[in-house]
Amino acid sequence: MIEIKATAESVEQAKDLLDVGVDTLYVGNEAFGLRLPTSFSLKELKEIAEIAHKDGKKVCVAVNALMHNEHIEIIIPYLKKLHEFKVDKITVGDPGVIHLLKKEELDLPFIYDAQTIVTSARQVNFWAKRGAVGAVLSRELTFIELKQMREQVKIPIEVLVYGATCIHHSKRPLAENYFNFTNQAESVSRERGLFLAESKKLGTHYSVYEDAQGTHIFATDDINLGLYLNDLAEAELTSWKLDGIYTRGKDFVEIVKLFVEAKNIINSRNWSEQFAEDFNKKVCKLHPQKRTLNEGFFLKHPSEVQ
Amino acid sequence: MTTKIKLKKPEVLAPAGTLEKLKTAIHYGADAVYIGGNAYGLRSRAGNFSYEEMTDGVNFAKKHQAKVYVAANMVTHEEDAEGAGEFFRKIRDIGIDAVIVSDPALMEICMMDAPGLPVHLSTQASATNYETLNFWHSEGLERVVLAREVSMEEIKQIRQNTDVEIETFIHGAMCISYSGRCTLSNHMSARDANRGGCSQSCRWKYELFEIPEVGERKSLLAGDPEEAFSMSAVDMSMIHHIPDLVRNGVDSLKIEGRMKSIHYVSTVSNVYSRAVNAFCEDPDNYTFNQEWEDELWKVAQRELATGFYYGVPTEDQQLFGKRRKIPGYTFIGQVLDYDEKSGIATIEQRNSFGIGDEVEFYGPGFRHHTQMIDVLWDEKGEEIERARHPLMTVKMKVECPVKPHDMMRKRK
Repeated sequence: MIEIKATAESVEQAKDLLDVGVDTLYVGNEAFGLRLPTSFSLKELKEIAEIAHKDGKKVCVAVNALMHNEHIEIIIPYLKKLHEFKVDKITVGDPGVIHLLKKEELDLPFIYDAQTIVTSARQVNFWAKRGAVGAVLSRELTFIELKQMREQVKIPIEVLVYGATCIHHSKRPLAENYFNFTNQAESVSRERGLFLAESKKLGTHYSVYEDAQGTHIFATDDINLGLYLNDLAEAELTSWKLDGIYTRGKDFVEIVKLFVEAKNIINSRNWSEQFAEDFNKKVCKLHPQKRTLNEGFFLKHPSEVQ
Repeated sequence: MTTKIKLKKPEVLAPAGTLEKLKTAIHYGADAVYIGGNAYGLRSRAGNFSYEEMTDGVNFAKKHQAKVYVAANMVTHEEDAEGAGEFFRKIRDIGIDAVIVSDPALMEICMMDAPGLPVHLSTQASATNYETLNFWHSEGLERVVLAREVSMEEIKQIRQNTDVEIETFIHGAMCISYSGRCTLSNHMSARDANRGGCSQSCRWKYELFEIPEVGERKSLLAGDPEEAFSMSAVDMSMIHHIPDLVRNGVDSLKIEGRMKSIHYVSTVSNVYSRAVNAFCEDPDNYTFNQEWEDELWKVAQRELATGFYYGVPTEDQQLFGKRRKIPGYTFIGQVLDYDEKSGIATIEQRNSFGIGDEVEFYGPGFRHHTQMIDVLWDEKGEEIERARHPLMTVKMKVECPVKPHDMMRKRK
């Protein structure tokens, strides 16, 4: 069973995503969740959970930040609210939260999501034994590794099939520090559209922004595994995430719709190279023009990155 | 009226890339050292220890009541963990005091295959709150190395809310990201930062642009001369804040740098063990000794700052602008022997020096003195102008007594 999980940037967009057939909405609040298109209030999260459930769909809330003491002190009421809203799952990247869930006996299924450091089946199974119902994998894994892991993991593992990839998370305000040093009064928010380029490779463009969690830097190319969806399905890697942090509004909904169609094609065993190419062209066309797409580490051989 | 507060003296934990550095660190006051084995570590290029060297190191450390930890802090991919069980068993049987791990797969293998070998959580796992420490404690870990993003105030709260041992970095280079949460190197150099391949891409120079609605991208670099965007952190030093660290119950004070020289390791271990002893022996009458800081500058490679301990680091803790030249010192020799009667020291050369040079001797227990070189003899007792040959043995007259293991340096 292929599951399509997509971020939502507004209650309106959440509705549109449900209409085009998304299985799970991925949302959260920036106090506890990382790199979300929008920070939703508890009221909005409740509403999103209600509309999703009415549609027979699921909601996963991002609680995947690295928590400091101040977060730990206020997180229990938040988790209790999510439980009350019947949120289906949360993502967790800090073992402190797992400890609290157990201590508070909160029945809130969690997906382990520490991103860059989730790289082997044995790690995933470690977290499964501690109650994880799924795991988000590092984006630096190759298809060869993903297949090896799939054979051994005891819980579903999630693969990013479309969207931006974070490659650096600092607690320091790195952009603000630069602007302060050079006496510039500039915004460092995501909306500002800042990006870095390697001085020696000027064609690169690493998006960067700051929020309450610090500074985030993204890979030069966004991920698109559109051409390989059938391969993923055949390898039983069927938990797919689409991240709309840099692809906004209707375009993102349209892209999700395309992936839902692809899923249906795969389910009805009608996948063909022709379909894949047409589908991929449409995705590329909807992708923000100033951003580029590729398959990330997916096609690399594990020995290429050591 | 003064009240004697009972303070637990924390260990000073020094890096040791080689057996020689291990011995040096311990001679210079380190209570414990951490080393790398020939696998599973993050410093694939730091001289790592064979099992024989480890055995030597452990024996030496035990003789000096010091501990030896092994860093096995890589984040494994499929198959990387093969053989790890045997590795952990072997190092346990050698007498290693603990293994430093961030990857739960390695942790699990260690606990299953090498019971009795204590496990410490590496800073790579970014432990930033007390519930995270409690989680790892409940998993059977003895110690957690805190993330470098934890403030002093947070350490205080963590200490009050957990029983697991706390280790924290007090000196050396720092990741500018949350450790482990950076794959710049993977993406820019095809080298895995979490498996020992970090190419330090954060310290490179970058252009900074904004994405325009229409038209060409616009550079946001500024300054005169133009300043490149960079994410290069200055180094950490907590020498001014030993009392805070001890009072807040930190169990182990860690010095970064398994790749660093014997000169560095001896100097930094010497300074911190001196400062920690001074404070713990008599907290009420403790005063900071400026010489400690001066000494650290002699081996400093970058500016020094306190990281996140007292606030989120500003641009002042990044390497921007014209860099101040830090007066460096060169390590030139090590004392092998000293004859009290004649005042003649036997020295193993480590870098060229000669007649007319002003050199500095320093030794364990924070002993220092300068010395002009007036006369030098080679092994055959013949007078020479300079000690030019690597590792050659020379003799010279010194005005103050020196001891074997004392080091000799001179200003660059």
